[in-house]
Amino acid sequence: MSMNASALSEQFHTHIETKAFSVFYGAQEAVKRVDMKIPQGQVTAIIGPSGCGKSTFLRAINRMNDLIPTCRAEGELLVDGLNVYDRGIDASVLRRRVGMVFQKPNPFPKTIYDNVAYGPRLHHSYAKRELDALVEESLKGAALWDEVKDRLNKNALGLSGGQAQRLCLARALAVNPEILLMDEPTSALDPKATARIEELIVQLKGRYTIAIVTHNMQQAARVSDVTAFFYEGLLVEFDVTSQIFTRPKEKRTEDYITGRFG
Amino acid sequence: MKQTEQFIVSEQTQRQRKAVAWLGRSFLFAVTSVAALAVLAIIFFIARDALPFFSGARGWDFFTSCEWYPTATPPKFGAGAIFVGSFIVTVTAVVLAVPPGILAAVCLSDLLPFNIRQIVKPVIEILAAIPSVVFGFFALVVLAPFMQDTCGASSGVNALNASVILAIMALPTIVSVSEDALQAAGRELREGSYALGATRAETIVKVVIPSAVSGIFSAVLLGIMRAMGETMVVWMASGNAAQIPSPIYNLLQPVRTLTATIAGDMGEADQMTGSAHYHVLFAMGLCLLIFSFLCNLAGEWIVTRQRKRLRGG
Amino acid sequence: MQLIMRKWLDRLFSFSAYSAIGLIIFVLVLVIGPIFVKGLGAYLFQGTIDNRRMMLNQFNRGDEGTLEVEWMEVKQERKSIYDMFSAFEKELDNMSATQRKTLKPVYKNIKEAVAVLIGPEPGAQLPALPRRIYGQTRWDRAQLKAKDVLFEETWDYSGAEGKKVLTPRAPLFKGTALEPLFPKIEKNLSQLMRPRLTFYPQFLTDKAIDAHFFGGIGAEVAGTIYLALGAMLIAVPLGVIAAIYFKEYAKEGPTLSFLRTCVNTLAGVPSVVFGLFGLAFFINTLHVSPGKSVLAGALTLALLVLPTVIRASEEAIAAVPHTYKEAALSLGAGKWRTILTVILPAALPGILTGIVISMGRAAGETAPIIFTAAVSVGPLVMPSEVFTTPTPALSWNLYNICTEHEAVEEIRHVQYGMAATLVLIVLTLNALAIVIRAKVSRKLKG
Repeated sequence: MSMNASALSEQFHTHIETKAFSVFYGAQEAVKRVDMKIPQGQVTAIIGPSGCGKSTFLRAINRMNDLIPTCRAEGELLVDGLNVYDRGIDASVLRRRVGMVFQKPNPFPKTIYDNVAYGPRLHHSYAKRELDALVEESLKGAALWDEVKDRLNKNALGLSGGQAQRLCLARALAVNPEILLMDEPTSALDPKATARIEELIVQLKGRYTIAIVTHNMQQAARVSDVTAFFYEGLLVEFDVTSQIFTRPKEKRTEDYITGRFG
Repeated sequence: MKQTEQFIVSEQTQRQRKAVAWLGRSFLFAVTSVAALAVLAIIFFIARDALPFFSGARGWDFFTSCEWYPTATPPKFGAGAIFVGSFIVTVTAVVLAVPPGILAAVCLSDLLPFNIRQIVKPVIEILAAIPSVVFGFFALVVLAPFMQDTCGASSGVNALNASVILAIMALPTIVSVSEDALQAAGRELREGSYALGATRAETIVKVVIPSAVSGIFSAVLLGIMRAMGETMVVWMASGNAAQIPSPIYNLLQPVRTLTATIAGDMGEADQMTGSAHYHVLFAMGLCLLIFSFLCNLAGEWIVTRQRKRLRGG
Repeated sequence: MQLIMRKWLDRLFSFSAYSAIGLIIFVLVLVIGPIFVKGLGAYLFQGTIDNRRMMLNQFNRGDEGTLEVEWMEVKQERKSIYDMFSAFEKELDNMSATQRKTLKPVYKNIKEAVAVLIGPEPGAQLPALPRRIYGQTRWDRAQLKAKDVLFEETWDYSGAEGKKVLTPRAPLFKGTALEPLFPKIEKNLSQLMRPRLTFYPQFLTDKAIDAHFFGGIGAEVAGTIYLALGAMLIAVPLGVIAAIYFKEYAKEGPTLSFLRTCVNTLAGVPSVVFGLFGLAFFINTLHVSPGKSVLAGALTLALLVLPTVIRASEEAIAAVPHTYKEAALSLGAGKWRTILTVILPAALPGILTGIVISMGRAAGETAPIIFTAAVSVGPLVMPSEVFTTPTPALSWNLYNICTEHEAVEEIRHVQYGMAATLVLIVLTLNALAIVIRAKVSRKLKG
């Protein structure tokens, strides 16, 4: 497992760091002792064949795996130096700081406004004007404002797939996270909607640290700054994206990139 | 040569086969119609034996007067208090059953681990399988003395007794249908809420239950239908006094329901098939039937509205 | 909202949800527990000598020899009590008027209570009603009746509500011939009654003697079985055929929707309305039988369970993998052949589950059979009579003997026994359905 860690960590502050981090489903080890440093303000792509543990790893960052009873984690996962699996850490607070967009758009059966306002309302009480401004800002951040500004009170279930996914992005942005996790966010969308989401990812980085799991290598090459290649639970290679795709150091990486498997 | 002949069937055989198929199909259709149209027969015969009562221009008193003396001369058929009795018992039962029912459904769908859920579900279904007369027996032999001794009721059989038992009987239905509705909300919906930092209670109350609301409504509707149509329990546990409690919220007083009246009075009345008493009981049956139809309609309306909503509106 | 608040609300919410489940389970135990425990008492109880005598006389059960020996001893004991009565009556004649006035009514009550407890004087002319021929057949009831002898029951209305007061009678009769009666009843009751642990499995099959004072619930059990079986014999062919039509033959359209709505509406009809329909249609219009009968009841119950059978069969047929049907058709089997030889056998466990559950429901229903099939008192119905004769049934008779019976308190054990038997039958059927269902899911998982 090679990392151009020195080069990366010199340039950027490490936002998320894992040390010998493993995730088990019962007895099965789905993520195996991963050491990784995710840089702040950059887009980190996580690629690999299906079943390699990339989604599990991503979901471990905001402790969504806690919802699965047989799932447990070992090792350390640090966000800004704080181990999120420590006993004193509250998952609700963590998830406010680490947002997530899912593979299948999952808007709530509420109005568009209420979808975006749901997260903020949980954590604080807002005056109507404040909330309106927050909703507008979030929808603009997801490039959805112009399309829905006249129908904020309509049910969100009437949106198209691409719009719904941008709504989910706006919803995640509304709680003002520092990190955005995206689990194959465009795999259920058509090419046009995919392109819009990819634009947004590039726009949003800098302000947010983004980690995106994708099975689409071209997408990883397009949007990410660094890429991690997972294989059978192991972090095989982690490097600047251009390096991974032009001069991978590991044979397994090269085989995957060139399409020999996966 | 021989092989192609086998594929081509003579016209006569074709016709024969078609005729047989048509006969078979019609037979199936006929049998299905009998099963399905039974309900029409029920409407017809109940209405037929109920209308003679209404045609005697006694309809208004039937619903509004509280003077129920069917065996007096002249007989009085004021069933107002009986309608109120049915209403009180049904509403109270539903009010008692819905909160624990929904909470139990939530527990089953979101809180209990899979293994325990597999055990608890059948246990709740046992409650649903117990015959109503056994519940009535329990109400009479255990609950009534308890109410008299501990709650100081003058009579152990009263509206509250019947309502409590009806609530117990309606619970399994409410739990099971609500749980299906909650499950149908889906894992992704819940994950979306958790990912924003919501607690489990917030996720369930603010996202899951609102999305399952129409299913829960159906569950409550089924509970209402069950409570309204129940006979043995109210016959044994409600006290069978055709009076409106005063004040109306004093549930420790006995009441009488439509179902108990039909069951109780028909024993004497069926000797006099064709008497006014016989017809008024059928009139009550007709009212119960119409009520169940309305509930069914409400249920179907909810389902159609939910389908429209999911398509996006 | 503060995070701590939110966490507390979350805990409170979880707690109430768990409590709701706990409440339901508690209620289940509360309802079924006493019924099973006390219901067992109809099958297994401490039986007295009177019980054994009754069993021998009415059912020809028991060893005559040993019983004679025992009875000889008890006869002596009981005769001595009646001798006390004769002696006391002589004393009464010699008493002062005031004394007689106080003692005579109490004495009458005592004599009556003793007759209830140990039966009439051995050797005297036997009363007509079986329940008066014997003393108490159950030890628990004997102990209760003994209290009736020993104590006078009065009501104290001095407080807010009336309170029952028991005053011992013994002091009143001190110095009379009756004095030894009281310690005998109080301390030597077991000598008088000879209680022994009795196992009475024939409670399930024996006929009832003298309005359930003695005997068992055989006629009721038979009636319930007739009705449940009869209902299924009618509902299953109708229901399965309808399900096949709905799933395999019918085309989407207004007719299909209409038929489906009909079946759904049928499911919502209250049970007592089914009873009214059975009376108005099967008995008064079609005249399937001269009056109430098992046939009419079975027809009515069949309508009640029909929607369940149709639904369960439809689900079972729908669950058969498409590939089975396609394989059969591609081998040249016709549509009907495919249904008969491939789909129905594969759907059979699901259909059976529906049948078994419906049978449980039919066995437990009361309202539909009140006007169509059930009688409170009646002999066991023979299979040849089912088309014309009404029958007792567990569900109806349970209602009857705990509300309209003349001596409700005396036959509590029969009521519990009937309730427990009915619940056991229904639960066994449901358990059977679960077993079938489990077998199915195991088969499908491979």
